[in-house]
Amino acid sequence: MNILRVFSISLLLILLSSVFLAASSSPTEALKPTLQDMIDVMKDPAFAGIEQKDPRRKKIMSIAAKGFDFAEMSRLVLGKTWRKIDQQQRTKFAQLFTKLLENAYIGKLEEYDGQIIEYEDERIKGQKAVVSTVVKNPGVPPLAVKYVMTNVDSAWLVYDINIEGVSLLRNYREQFKSILRKDKFEGLVKMIEEKNKSFEKEDSSSG
Amino acid sequence: MKTRGNHIVCILLLFVGLTCFGCARQDNRDSASGVAETQEMSGDALDMLLSDAFFLDDDDDDDFFSDREYNDPWEPMNRVFFEFNDTLYYWVLNPLNKAYTAALPWDFRYSVGNFVNNLAAPIRLVNNLLQWKIADAGIVLSRFLINTTLGVYGFGDPAFIEFDLEPKPEDFGQTLGVWGIGEGIYLCLPVLGPLNVRDTAGFAADAFMHPMVYYVDSIWVSGEYYALSRVNLLSLNPDLYENLKKYSLDPYISMRQAYLDHRRTITNDNVLQQRSDNRL
Repeated sequence: MNILRVFSISLLLILLSSVFLAASSSPTEALKPTLQDMIDVMKDPAFAGIEQKDPRRKKIMSIAAKGFDFAEMSRLVLGKTWRKIDQQQRTKFAQLFTKLLENAYIGKLEEYDGQIIEYEDERIKGQKAVVSTVVKNPGVPPLAVKYVMTNVDSAWLVYDINIEGVSLLRNYREQFKSILRKDKFEGLVKMIEEKNKSFEKEDSSSG
Repeated sequence: MKTRGNHIVCILLLFVGLTCFGCARQDNRDSASGVAETQEMSGDALDMLLSDAFFLDDDDDDDFFSDREYNDPWEPMNRVFFEFNDTLYYWVLNPLNKAYTAALPWDFRYSVGNFVNNLAAPIRLVNNLLQWKIADAGIVLSRFLINTTLGVYGFGDPAFIEFDLEPKPEDFGQTLGVWGIGEGIYLCLPVLGPLNVRDTAGFAADAFMHPMVYYVDSIWVSGEYYALSRVNLLSLNPDLYENLKKYSLDPYISMRQAYLDHRRTITNDNVLQQRSDNRL
């Protein structure tokens, strides 16, 4: 009797908590910890400085992998070319493009200097959502940053960052489209490889 | 000096003429795109980001697709000017900026930036009114009055720091967009940089709303003032252009896309505007 009661109460609790969890996993709720964890790493003195760059990047990318959908980004940025290449090429491209985003976006993030992120608005439309944030910096007009997200297996993942109306993904997409027209897929892969190498070179010269 | 002024007027008239061309183009596209699409796209900026068309899954003919994203028939010439500006940046602007930044502390340059912004307040006031943004026009006026007095001729920005009044920038390029005039073709002009025809005309019209034009006779002094304000602006955002080059594979296209995206977003922020330029 007693065991039955404990069992039923715990079952009820489990059910309730799952309902609660499902309700709390809004896009904003999913985005907040991702950004906060990244900022915490930036602020962490253990990860500060150029000599800590590799472990810092590794740590940030492990956080980003949970909150960002790099596979979807790679698919969208290639457009119709994605359908023309085989699985192996897709994997290779996704690796290269993720590395490029790491260099570009995380490189920007490393300039973090105490700015405050305010979450302003959220809109959900089917499997997609936009979370509007404003980055506030003392003395300077605020910067509007929007995170465009998609729902994958009931988790909200970021696939585009829109800063003051400029879409990160579409900016790369337009560049890639022009390169693909002239140099095809192989040429694009080569150019991204070279771009990624230029960041390594820069690091070794400055570090 | 007079003939030089005439030349500039001629060039401006040419651009105004080109804007009409851009206008006609936009009309053609409107009639072709049909009502259903217009209605679907008439939502605000957030809806736009969520629409499937934002990253078109382009089964369409590539030329058709690209025509809707941007209009850059002069790309070869624009690229030449892009290279010219790039050279100008590395050989003139960047060294100039380095010397300027080294000579003057950030506080001073920030104050100069405030002064330049404050002096251009009439442009923002008129354009806010022309776009029927009455509340924003009021904020522009309040900011101007507060900053000119408490901010000592506009060198400080107490309106933002003390009164939390954010700047409400609007220019005539945006006004023309709100009035439904098409962007026209994309241009990368020497010295001026990325523009479209509509914003070029807007830039020229805004110049006549600047108090400088009425108090200083010489076009050279106005030119020098503009050049100085640009160097000052660069000194406050030194990494903008270099980051663009660092992170992009094709800086020309990256700049074009960023410019068009940004301009479309800030033009399209009017609640009264029924249709957007953002129909992609």
